[in-house]
Amino acid sequence: MIELRNVTLKYGEREILKNVSVSIRDNTIKAILGPSGVGKSTILKLMLGLIKPNSGQVIVDGTDITKLKETELYPIRRKMGMVFQGNALFDSMTISQNLGFFLRENLKLPEAEVQERVAEQIKFSGLEGYEEQLPENLSGGMRKRVAIGRALIFRPHMILFDEPTAGLDPVSSKRILHLISTLQQSSNLGAVIVTHIIDDVFSIADHAAVLYQGEIIFDDETEKLHQSQHPFIRSILSDKILEL
Amino acid sequence: MPLTVIRSLEKDLSLKAKEYLLTMQEFFLFSVRAFFTLPKIKRYWRDFLDQATICGTDSIPIVLVSAISIGSLLAIEVGNLLEDFGAKTMLGRSTSISVIRELGPLLMGLMLSARFGSRNGAELGAMQISEQIDALRAFGTDPVAKLVMPRLAAALIMFIPLTALSDFAGLQSAAYLAEHYHHLDPGIFWNAVYPRLGPKDFVVGFAKAPVFAVIITLVSSYNGFIAKGGTAGVGRATIKGIVVSSGLVLIANFYVSKIVLENM
Repeated sequence: MIELRNVTLKYGEREILKNVSVSIRDNTIKAILGPSGVGKSTILKLMLGLIKPNSGQVIVDGTDITKLKETELYPIRRKMGMVFQGNALFDSMTISQNLGFFLRENLKLPEAEVQERVAEQIKFSGLEGYEEQLPENLSGGMRKRVAIGRALIFRPHMILFDEPTAGLDPVSSKRILHLISTLQQSSNLGAVIVTHIIDDVFSIADHAAVLYQGEIIFDDETEKLHQSQHPFIRSILSDKILEL
Repeated sequence: MPLTVIRSLEKDLSLKAKEYLLTMQEFFLFSVRAFFTLPKIKRYWRDFLDQATICGTDSIPIVLVSAISIGSLLAIEVGNLLEDFGAKTMLGRSTSISVIRELGPLLMGLMLSARFGSRNGAELGAMQISEQIDALRAFGTDPVAKLVMPRLAAALIMFIPLTALSDFAGLQSAAYLAEHYHHLDPGIFWNAVYPRLGPKDFVVGFAKAPVFAVIITLVSSYNGFIAKGGTAGVGRATIKGIVVSSGLVLIANFYVSKIVLENM
């Protein structure tokens, strides 16, 4: 379980997050919805300990990670997989090297097991035949699937998605959402999805939180979004895509 | 000037000073981390070899070109000057001291700042912009150990033979020009070189190599690590890395010479 308790974050004079509290239970999909540039991706980085808040706590499985040193954070981060918005694949490495990189780097596994896990992810992502290709030779949707495969390589219990369908065509978007949903059902994984596309939220999220002007204005089951009377939520339900 | 303008200027200056101090603090911590990760070199030996090839072997042509040009130029100019005083036989001595103590290492430093430093800044900047450095951290790999330490170790080791090569090429080109331009017997040229060069001259020259290695690697890598603002940001980080490291190389060149010459 991941929990943000009264988190405040400032960049210089600008307050990005104001006393934000949100929690993500294991085995559920939670979407964090909000307009571009509101600090949604920052929440994911806080969950991984990539940035530290000015105040408040970030609790991962009972441990407040804001107090931990960088080296103490590494084992905690491996419990979570992260899919970056731009995928963050290593462009000089092939797909199979990208998938196996962190296993070789951080776990002292026998090479046979590394190969086995890589093959498992290649199969799951439907990328058979592309193992030796460089990321630049793949389509946006395929690159996203590689990034998801890489996020799963440590067999985490929670996976964090930063705008998983942004910039993808409708077919690829659907395929990625289906992949996330399959993952949750087959592997019992928890997931946090940061997005500005409300259709994605209704497609796969069990719970949703809405971030607006640095504050959480809604945090409940996704279906209850329809009952909200908050003017911002009413407006996004009618416009569907948040570009405010 | 209205009071509000003065206050706003004061606020701007104070913010800039604060930002500068924060950057210096971050750079210091970044450098300390890079040095503390040096014992992990065994784990990253492949990265170290790659970087040693990039900053060492691949840099040989540019180091040779700059050393040969400056050696030749020194031989012509200094030879002309010495001829006026009837002291052309001193050409070997004056060029060897200039090349070994100062110009050989300095030019090598500036060339590597442009070549190796720009590569570091651009490569790490692009990795920062595309979140690859965040990805390393997110999956439990120390980006400083993986990306900066091998560069630092490679530069520390490879800059020394490059300095030797730069000195050798500079002197050889000076000797060639002394013989073919000033018609000086090679025996006279080299006779003025060998007996006159002392350990102090080599210490001054070779002590600069590790200093330049640290400056160039850390300044360019740090600027890559803090790059922001898309491709333009990568460009800015690269330029800043080259300009700052080149400036620091020039300053360090003076101080290393001064410290060694005063204490030996």
